Amino acid sequence: MTEYSRIVLASHGTPGGQAAERAALALCARGASLRQLVVVPDFWRGMMGDDWLNNASTRETYGRHVEHQIEAEIAVQVARVRTKATQLGLNYQCRTVLGKPAECLLAYSLEFAPELVVIGAPRPKGTTGLRSRMHLETLVRALGARLLIVPHP
Amino acid sequence: MVYSKKTPWTLIMGVIMVAYAYAVQSGAMAGVIKYLGTDRHVGEMLTLGYAFGGVAIVVGLWQLVAKSAEGHVDYYLSTIGGVTFIMLVAFIVKWGLDPQMGQWGKAAQSTLGFNFASVMNLNYVVMGILAGIVIVNVFKVPAWAEHGVRLSRLGLKTGVILLGTLYSLAELAQLGKLSVVLIGVFVLGSVGVVLWFGARRGLPNSMTGVLSAGVGVCGVSAAVAAAPVVQAKSTEIAYTIGTILMFGVICMFVFPIVGKAMGMGYIQFGAWAGTGILNSAQVAGAALAFQPNGIETLKVAEIFNITRVLFLPIIVLWLALWYVKREVGAQKVDLVHVVTSKFPLFVLGFILMFALSSTGIFAPARHYQGSYFDNSDKVMLKTGKDGKVQSKLLADKDLDALKAEASKVTRADQAAALTRLLENKKLMSIDDDDTLRGVVNAKILSKAGNDVLTKAHRAVRHTAPKIAMFRDLIAWFFTFGLVGLGMQITMASIKQAGGQPLVIGSIVGVIKAVGSLIVVLLMVSETI
Repeated sequence: MTEYSRIVLASHGTPGGQAAERAALALCARGASLRQLVVVPDFWRGMMGDDWLNNASTRETYGRHVEHQIEAEIAVQVARVRTKATQLGLNYQCRTVLGKPAECLLAYSLEFAPELVVIGAPRPKGTTGLRSRMHLETLVRALGARLLIVPHP
Repeated sequence: MVYSKKTPWTLIMGVIMVAYAYAVQSGAMAGVIKYLGTDRHVGEMLTLGYAFGGVAIVVGLWQLVAKSAEGHVDYYLSTIGGVTFIMLVAFIVKWGLDPQMGQWGKAAQSTLGFNFASVMNLNYVVMGILAGIVIVNVFKVPAWAEHGVRLSRLGLKTGVILLGTLYSLAELAQLGKLSVVLIGVFVLGSVGVVLWFGARRGLPNSMTGVLSAGVGVCGVSAAVAAAPVVQAKSTEIAYTIGTILMFGVICMFVFPIVGKAMGMGYIQFGAWAGTGILNSAQVAGAALAFQPNGIETLKVAEIFNITRVLFLPIIVLWLALWYVKREVGAQKVDLVHVVTSKFPLFVLGFILMFALSSTGIFAPARHYQGSYFDNSDKVMLKTGKDGKVQSKLLADKDLDALKAEASKVTRADQAAALTRLLENKKLMSIDDDDTLRGVVNAKILSKAGNDVLTKAHRAVRHTAPKIAMFRDLIAWFFTFGLVGLGMQITMASIKQAGGQPLVIGSIVGVIKAVGSLIVVLLMVSETI
């Protein structure tokens, strides 16, 4: 099996993302650099919707609560990958960004110049989950590295 | 941080507004205005065009030429671009798209068999909100307009505060009682039903809590207020807000269509929209969509909205206690802080304006539904510039028309009021006016007879100039607020509707809408 020394893993802990995590860890050469990108979807910008009657204090409390929740949820996912990466002797780092998944992944790939990018396949229809999918056409048109899409478990 | 962005757009929009106002003033737009039938808006085209255009030109030039420095002035000036942007959209929709859609609706009537613009309520309010939704989802709100767009909330709150000037004590007391009963039953009822559903389906307490607030009280605002209290997870918040936004937008379009199809009056529709629509932002939208050229429906709906808003701290408190009781390790909450921090301060502004209005500062203190009764000679007989006396007393032919049908009025109080009208040629009291409005509503007389009674009614009922000004201001504040709120409804958020919140929210939302419709039709009459 080919092993890579520079891999970007895009995962935020969904079942598909966790399958991608396992594949990425398996494909890393010893001492390889594994970079995990966690994208907080930009629909959160609109998640106060058309609230009009709360005061600034309530809105700030809500904003802080949502931030803390997302941070805590990401921390759990990152800890899981970090532990495994450390056990395998990998150089692991994680970055969290807000935006559209494909655009963020392209920007990060441009910066890190990986040999391989690993993502999970879209979840099957009918499965519940947040709707913020990787726009594959945008990604494959501009990505300068190999792309591995790991099937949904 | 410097908030102002260097952009030519504020200046460009200002020039467009001023140029348009000038074109209207100079008569260059006379043909278009005549074609669209917007003559009655000429006054506001000039006032608003010059006012907003002038400010946008000055601020736009300043932002282009001067170097902005950090501070309050910079922040406030950074909102002008967005405010101008919203107003420009509102102008285009109200003075262009709305009348044009009306024309198209009439033109297509013979082909379609119905006036689609009228049936679908494609008026300036609905189209303004739609324009906002299209802008944010298709083109994105420009960065230079973002701060101003957020001010739309302030527009809505200001509209509600000013609305306080239009109520009489009697109206407020009766609408208030009705709203407390209906909102009490439906808010508490739907919160209770969601909590029950959540427990029955084994949902996490945090999800049930945030969903019950959103579905039960006032939609997104309640979800925003309750989420931290019940420690809702991010996915639970996303599912809930997506569901409420989806429901809100659907209701805003469906409610007015159903209301018109069922022949509901202003009070009935206002009560239904104020109770049955999940999201409070869309209540005002639906009320103005139902009655775009008047604010009677809005007045009723907003009383219900305010009552809902006043329930919010109570419900959040309830959920806080409920959550602490069920979750091991949940943080204890400061009950006083919950209530005070969630109290909607703008409601105090509404009460203040109502109190001021009740003193007679804006209109005679006994005004009712925005108008007051005066049958003195001072208003009934006016001398024109040419020295001729213009009389609002009933003419002889009017009296003859009424006398010919007087025998149809058999109820004693109505017959007595009619007799006094015939003897004096004018209505003699508020009671007589109300009694004879009953004759008109009951269609006891022929159309010609009813027209005379309506003429007599209009002669003694007057809208104070200040109240008329408030009505216009309120309509514009709501238009501004709703177009701006439309710019904050993203499809990406609505798409998050899903999971159990979508199932439970849909069930409870439909029960609430249909249940409140039945109750309103059974309990609410058109006279308050």
